[in-house]
Amino acid sequence: MVHKTKSNVKKLRKLSVFAFFVISSVTLALSPAIIMAGDNGPCIECHTKPEKLKVSEKAKIDAVTGEIKVSSMVIDEAIFKASAHGGDDFFCTDCHQDLDGKDLTDGHKPNLKPVDCITFCHDDPAEEYLQSTHVKLMRENGKDVPTCKDCHYGLSFHYAPSGEKSPRDVPRGVDPVHRDLTIATCGSCHQDYLSSYRNNAHGQVASLGHTTIDVPVCFDCHGKHTILKSSDPESKVGKERIVETCGKCHANANASFVKHIEHPQIKNIAYYKAIISAVKNARSDPENLKKVLKNPQTILCVVFVMYIGILAFTFSAFGMHSLLSWAAIVRDEYKKRRGHSDEQQH
Amino acid sequence: MNSNTNYLRFSLFHRFCHFLVIISFFGLVLTGIPLAFRGYGWARWLYELFGGYPTAGYLHRICAIITFFSAFVHFINLFYNVSVRKKKGYFWGSNSLLIQPRDIFDIIADIKWFMGIGKKPDYDRWIYWEKFEYLSLMWGTLVMAVTGLILWFPVQFTKIIPVSVATIIDLPSIALIVHRYEAILAAGFIFTIHFFHTHLLPEKMPVDEVIFTGRITEEEMKHERLVQYKRLVKEGQLDSFRVAPPSLFVRFLTRLFAVPILITGLIVVGLMFSALLVWAI
Repeated sequence: MVHKTKSNVKKLRKLSVFAFFVISSVTLALSPAIIMAGDNGPCIECHTKPEKLKVSEKAKIDAVTGEIKVSSMVIDEAIFKASAHGGDDFFCTDCHQDLDGKDLTDGHKPNLKPVDCITFCHDDPAEEYLQSTHVKLMRENGKDVPTCKDCHYGLSFHYAPSGEKSPRDVPRGVDPVHRDLTIATCGSCHQDYLSSYRNNAHGQVASLGHTTIDVPVCFDCHGKHTILKSSDPESKVGKERIVETCGKCHANANASFVKHIEHPQIKNIAYYKAIISAVKNARSDPENLKKVLKNPQTILCVVFVMYIGILAFTFSAFGMHSLLSWAAIVRDEYKKRRGHSDEQQH
Repeated sequence: MNSNTNYLRFSLFHRFCHFLVIISFFGLVLTGIPLAFRGYGWARWLYELFGGYPTAGYLHRICAIITFFSAFVHFINLFYNVSVRKKKGYFWGSNSLLIQPRDIFDIIADIKWFMGIGKKPDYDRWIYWEKFEYLSLMWGTLVMAVTGLILWFPVQFTKIIPVSVATIIDLPSIALIVHRYEAILAAGFIFTIHFFHTHLLPEKMPVDEVIFTGRITEEEMKHERLVQYKRLVKEGQLDSFRVAPPSLFVRFLTRLFAVPILITGLIVVGLMFSALLVWAI
């Protein structure tokens, strides 16, 4: 009896071990359960399909502005892959660190920690930026220094065709739409520079909507976070580095070439006023007049005004000539007809 | 108009040059003018139509090369006729395209006619505004070619300028401004003044075929260029210019080619003018 029971227990043990292996391997095979670092698969599995999500949209309150935003929990895989964060060596858990190693059998907890963009990844630009002339000058003048969000204001930069704007899908720096948006962002403060840029050879192409990397936008010449005064030796547009900066696109750029004016003042009334006042005060302040005359902008303004004059003269003179000759032809025709009808009456 | 007596006004070479100028000029304007009117929606549309950046730029340069070629053959032809064939009258006289004393009198007579105190004057082979158009084409081509080449090869052109000069005279920027406004001048002039003075006259509408067929009827010649007609009769040379009238097929081809081109030009100048209005209002 005892012997029999023993063998039964042995059998049962064997069976339970077997069952354990079968059940656990089936569970492992059937569920995406645990998120491992280095694999976006389980996340993409559900987050590309709204029907697999418990909640597909979520309202969020911005901690700083108090703005309420509705963000979608659905990821457009193509847009994500093309975005700055879509590289192969980049994983969901890199940002959503509280999900690392979590069991997802019943989904994950509803509210993740807000993503800390700065501490582990985007800390370098902040430091560079705070040391730039851009910030120093503003501090000296007692102006509010633009924060990261003033330029990287999610809504227009972190765009996505699905309508959702997420920092996740921030496009790469080479993305033409992103590059185009940066022009508007810089221009929202530097309006004069934006309008003079639009008069330039580079800016006119950008104005037509072409902002691929071979059409320079503001930051290609001035830098991104480290924007320095041109008198600073480190400045990208300063004496020492300008040849290198222009040379990125214009092979063999030389010392004369880099004297090119990127921001012509031909449509800036203030510059014309400055020229006129310099001419008026020529006797009391000849140095200033000399400075104005030596400024390459002055020649551009003179050429521009000259051409406006030529255009106005040519079109008014020849337009008048055309109108007068047409009128004379019609008048002659009218006289001829009247002459004919007079003859017929006689 | 359909007279059987026709005289040759433009040789095949002249017609070929005019054709080359049309092709290259329209190519240049259509790919270039969007840049000058970059703030308007139609400019963007037109630019995209020609492939946008950089394709439109390549097409622009190809058309520029055609322009260079037409200018080149024009001056080679002139040089050959003057120095090899020793033909006379290119620089002085009734056949010259340069300004002559007669043009001053024609202008005065025209002004009198406009004011109604004189009859319509009779003209010689070239009327003063035709000469003006020819000379402004020559001048305009030179200006556009030089500034265009500076913009095409900015690094190479600035290399020959010393730095001290370059700090005062910014060659590429000057070239850009001149190129842009000379282009507006040229396109505006051709599409309005040239079109309305030659092709869209009440008696020519829609197109003056003489530059395409090369032939002018006796009636037209008497009406437009009586001085030349009388001079040729007096010299007994008129018959040497006599040719068969253009075939119907050639006249059909002329219209098939010229009318769409004319309409395109009028649309472009209309858009340019609308931009001026938008800017002014």
